[in-house]
Amino acid sequence: MNAFDLIQPDTLEEALSLLNTDDPLVRPLAGGTALMLMMKSKLYAPERLVSLQRLKPSLDKVKVDEAGRLHLGPLATLRELELSPVVAQFSPVIPKALRTLSNVRVRNVATLGGHLAHGDPHMDLPPILLALDAQVRVSSEAGHRDIPLSEFLTGYYSTALAPGELITEVVVPPLPQGTRGTYVKFTALSADDWPMAGVAAFVRLEDGQISDARVAVSAATERPVRLHEVESFLRGQRPTDEVLHHAGELAGTQIHPLADIRGSSGYKREIVKVCVRRSLQQIAQTDHNGDGGVTQ
Amino acid sequence: MAEYRTIRFRLNGRPVELAVQPHENLVEALRRGFQMYSVRESCGQGLCGCCTVYVNGKAVSGCLYLAALVDGCDVQTAEGLGTLQQLSPVQEAFIECEGFQCGFCTPGMIMMATQLLQENPNPTDEEIKHYMSGNLCRCAAYPEIIAAVHRAAEKLRASKETDAKADQAATVAG
Ligand SMILES: Cc1cc2nc3c(=O)[nH]c(=O)nc-3n(C[C@H](O)[C@H](O)[C@H](O)COP(=O)(O)OP(=O)(O)OC[C@H]3O[C@@H](n4cnc5c(N)ncnc54)[C@H](O)[C@@H]3O)c2cc1C
Ligand code: FES
Ligand code: FES
Repeated sequence: MNAFDLIQPDTLEEALSLLNTDDPLVRPLAGGTALMLMMKSKLYAPERLVSLQRLKPSLDKVKVDEAGRLHLGPLATLRELELSPVVAQFSPVIPKALRTLSNVRVRNVATLGGHLAHGDPHMDLPPILLALDAQVRVSSEAGHRDIPLSEFLTGYYSTALAPGELITEVVVPPLPQGTRGTYVKFTALSADDWPMAGVAAFVRLEDGQISDARVAVSAATERPVRLHEVESFLRGQRPTDEVLHHAGELAGTQIHPLADIRGSSGYKREIVKVCVRRSLQQIAQTDHNGDGGVTQ
Repeated sequence: MAEYRTIRFRLNGRPVELAVQPHENLVEALRRGFQMYSVRESCGQGLCGCCTVYVNGKAVSGCLYLAALVDGCDVQTAEGLGTLQQLSPVQEAFIECEGFQCGFCTPGMIMMATQLLQENPNPTDEEIKHYMSGNLCRCAAYPEIIAAVHRAAEKLRASKETDAKADQAATVAG
């Protein structure tokens, strides 16, 4: 690893001031799990890293407000989110997905902010948070802005973060009563590998009819995307085998999978079709108190 | 060349200090500064667990952790689990069940197993496999490792019961 300078500010103001530069060789460091891999493989050789470690006490809160919105601090570790009763109550899909993400040591250190800012399309939480309509608050010395996650994730390893900006909060609007969700993760190499395809689905059934559907795909695509066509097709339908099968087929026409070591583009398209169908079947099959789950 | 800085932390309960460079990782620093040879860098990517260290009581991969960031922290390695005279129950269980062949992965396995048993004193096979999925054994001693974790769980439960009985006896006596 190349030598670099490491600064450990005590306050958000100090951190934002240190990061207020266009120099791409200056970057924030949160858990460091992603950055360490990049630096070790010499993909990135920073001059200066600004550690956010000392800001943790003020930026790791997990809470639900009076309006039912879930607020997540960017320095909450993935393990803290996995074990948080507040998160589990909001949507059990989140902790279930986290349990399948890498291993305990990585989750003990990796943060939510780093998870989103890295812009890696293979991450497990972005499709779930995307289906949940999450918003990302980013702050800089100039102030802050709130960006829907769908606009925050702009492409392959790229996000809407401008130089000098930090993620300071993630907010998820309340889920309408009766919404059930699931995350289906398909791994091609080993069970705890990064997903080759990830599908998050949240569906609300009223009198046996789908009144709301949100479906997001990740890993197979260059960035996590919502499948709006599939969602509007599903609205108003009964979740019969035929309908869910068609939803899967439709999903296949909406995506542009990237080929890599985990599979060719065509193979990934077939897998996404199956994952979309399975995710919807799972939701349709869980009883009213069920929450779907996470399958691999 | 980035400058050395002196970090102060507790290592296996003892206050220590070391001059480190910002880009040095925790495995390098613990081996170089304190001969903590139980901490080994193998995959270097967070996957195998040979570099497992506790920082403030939580297991981390030392290979992905900058040493400078443990300034002010409590750091523990397998060296701190027991002594040669008095091994920890998990260490004893690994020996009794022969939970290793070459032993390279063993400190990491024992560290993770110890943490698992703190969180879950009576894990199932599935729970053990899930918790330790990030610890790889090149010799594939997995069945013996799983048996060792069960044995360690029994030992820890038994010693807890003995402690509880002793407490009770003390209360009755007092
Ligand atoms: C062995 C291994 C296996 C993994 N497997 C999986 C997997 O299967 N699924 C999965 O989803 N993930 C997986 N991960 C990835 C893991 O989720 C990410 O590495 C982690 O979430 C990144 O968080 P971090 O805090 O460590 O980020 P860091 O490495 O600290 O930072 C990552 C990026 O985000 C920036 N950044 C950090 N915090 C902020 C902030 N608050 N605001 C703005 N920018 C910020 C940094 O500058 C950097 O560019 C794996 C990681 C490892 C090491
Ligand atoms: S060497 Fe750190 S996890 Fe393998
Ligand atoms: S005992 Fe040889 S690697 Fe596990």
